Amino acid sequence: MKKLALAVALAFAAGGALAQEKTIKIAGFGAKSGVVRSFGVNSEAAMLAAAEVINKQGGVKLADGSKAKIAVEFLDDRCNAEEGISVIRRIAGTDALVAIGPTCSNVAEPLFGILQKKVDNKGDSGLQFPVFTDVAIKVGLAKISEWAFRNVPNEMTMYNSVFYWLHQKYPDLKTVYGGVEEDFAHSRATWHLVMKDRAKASGFAVAGESKWLLADTNFATQVREMKKANADIVAISAHPFTTCGVLKEMQRQGVKPKLLVGLTSSSSLETLQGCAKQAQGMIIPSSFAPVNKEAKFAAEQTAKKKGAADLHSMAAWENMFILKQVMESEKIAGTRASVQADRRKIRDGLAKLNTTQGLLGVSKRDAEGEADKPYLFVQAKGNDWVVLHNPL
Amino acid sequence: MDFYFGLAQLVGVHTLLGLSAYIVLLTGQVSLAQAGFFAVGAYTAGMLTVLAGWHLVPALGVSALVSAATACAVGFPALRIKGLMLVVATLAFGEGVRLFFFNFDYQIAKGEVKVGPLGGEGFRQIRFFPEHGWSTLEVMLFIWCFVLLVMALLWWIDRSRYGAALRAVGEDELAAQAVGLNLTAIKVSAMTLGGGIAGIGGGLYAHYTTHIEHSSFNILVATFALAYPIVGGLQSVFGTVVAVIFVQAFLIEGLRDLGDWRNLLFGALIVLAMNLRPRGFLDARTLASLKRVFGGGPRA
Repeated sequence: MKKLALAVALAFAAGGALAQEKTIKIAGFGAKSGVVRSFGVNSEAAMLAAAEVINKQGGVKLADGSKAKIAVEFLDDRCNAEEGISVIRRIAGTDALVAIGPTCSNVAEPLFGILQKKVDNKGDSGLQFPVFTDVAIKVGLAKISEWAFRNVPNEMTMYNSVFYWLHQKYPDLKTVYGGVEEDFAHSRATWHLVMKDRAKASGFAVAGESKWLLADTNFATQVREMKKANADIVAISAHPFTTCGVLKEMQRQGVKPKLLVGLTSSSSLETLQGCAKQAQGMIIPSSFAPVNKEAKFAAEQTAKKKGAADLHSMAAWENMFILKQVMESEKIAGTRASVQADRRKIRDGLAKLNTTQGLLGVSKRDAEGEADKPYLFVQAKGNDWVVLHNPL
Repeated sequence: MDFYFGLAQLVGVHTLLGLSAYIVLLTGQVSLAQAGFFAVGAYTAGMLTVLAGWHLVPALGVSALVSAATACAVGFPALRIKGLMLVVATLAFGEGVRLFFFNFDYQIAKGEVKVGPLGGEGFRQIRFFPEHGWSTLEVMLFIWCFVLLVMALLWWIDRSRYGAALRAVGEDELAAQAVGLNLTAIKVSAMTLGGGIAGIGGGLYAHYTTHIEHSSFNILVATFALAYPIVGGLQSVFGTVVAVIFVQAFLIEGLRDLGDWRNLLFGALIVLAMNLRPRGFLDARTLASLKRVFGGGPRA
């Protein structure tokens, strides 16, 4: 009787082991609440959709030849630096092999600071955990740590191209006026370090600038200044919430520039949901538009997970496939005992990449871990962002 | 464990922020300037370790002194006003400090890169802890050494004649003045001491996050500084610690998995806590009960 019981127990144990699927955890984190919550919601949807596609294709091939499914867990950092640090420590304490995030540059900056700066520097006790950023776009952050990598577009190249193209296409336009969401790391840096500089370099005169804050709801004074400057082009470096506020105030005060240029992050559905009428004609460089089969498929799959496809969320989609490729090429073991070794392999694999395949084509990668992604210019027409020009 | 050690670091830093408001509240002054003193301490300590290459301990000492001096300077004019006017004046000071750092540039070249505060871009790479090989546990112990020292100091003050004078001024200024207490000295000294504590907290905060910017010291930080001792109770320094653990460890970290519900619950649970414990978590009755249980005092 005892032998029979033992045999039954062994059979159950063996069956259980066979049925147990290997999984690899990829963590995501970003703002899922607050003014910029759409970034986190869309990134999570894109990550879940990409994981589903990868899992349907069999999953990730491990060093021993077996396959593992990808599990995604997404945590909300509320676009807050302290919370971002807590979240990454929490993720590092689990068996997650890599994290995709954060969505906010003001979180990315301190978070990259707590990572080990130089790999193999034994005197540096910073966290040794690979972070592959999809959304936080402020220029030049990946150099903070060799454990940080980014798949965000290069705004310097993009706005250089935009203003150069505008100058060629509309030689009658001479002046640019800037509107900037001053207290948000990305929008502030993009106006002061990128847009303003690139507009001047392309031959435009900067007629002035108005500043407001992310939580502002009244833009009367700023738009009055804008009206007074009477510039040919108004360039708004702000996120969808205040971009819409300013555009509505411009309509109220009758400010009609010949052209509108927007911030990369505003080339999203949120802007058109908030102020499609006022945003008509706005031109934004974007690293995503559903212009080919792969991009359309990614957008559809993300929509099924209740997310919108834009330049940020589709970077999260791309990151999932890049990570799959890196995990397979670096031959990760995918076991509980090999977590730290696998993290290191993923970091090394990401550092080795010179190019990656994205939805719009091949992205170049530099030694600092930054990407130079393909891009195009989109324009608000009706309730959609339509492709206006492909400069590449 | 690193996650829990990291959380304990954050609780320690916020406890110092709360204790800086605690001592000011004892005198009946409601100050929203603590975030400003916290910012002064953060930038001072950060600049001393990153730009001047100082060790963190003396840097924290200087940040405490600079913040205390700033608080003393704020304390004198604040004597002329009280109540809601003081709240508005200290709020204006806090915003003034934030805007100062929003426009404050002071960078020097270190090798190929420039380091130091850069206005709205913030002040990055304040990496004393990782660069000196400190583990998360060691950082936590370091921070809590300061927290315990400050708590011990405040606990001792609470039991001294000076502490009694602070509470007397807080209860009834006129009565306190009538018995010969020097209101100016008591109020300004409490503000100065609070500023010094906020300075240490700010210095530690800068090194905890490795990056600071003006928005790290906004009105929300000032509100939290006040909320901790009020929610925890003004009867004991331990109340502030309990409140910080409740907010940071339970409401923010513990409820993280609840997603969008967390924000809703955050406010609701604080309102509930204030309704259930209107005099704070550790009010006089609770403290008396705890003393009876742990201190072996007389039973009712």
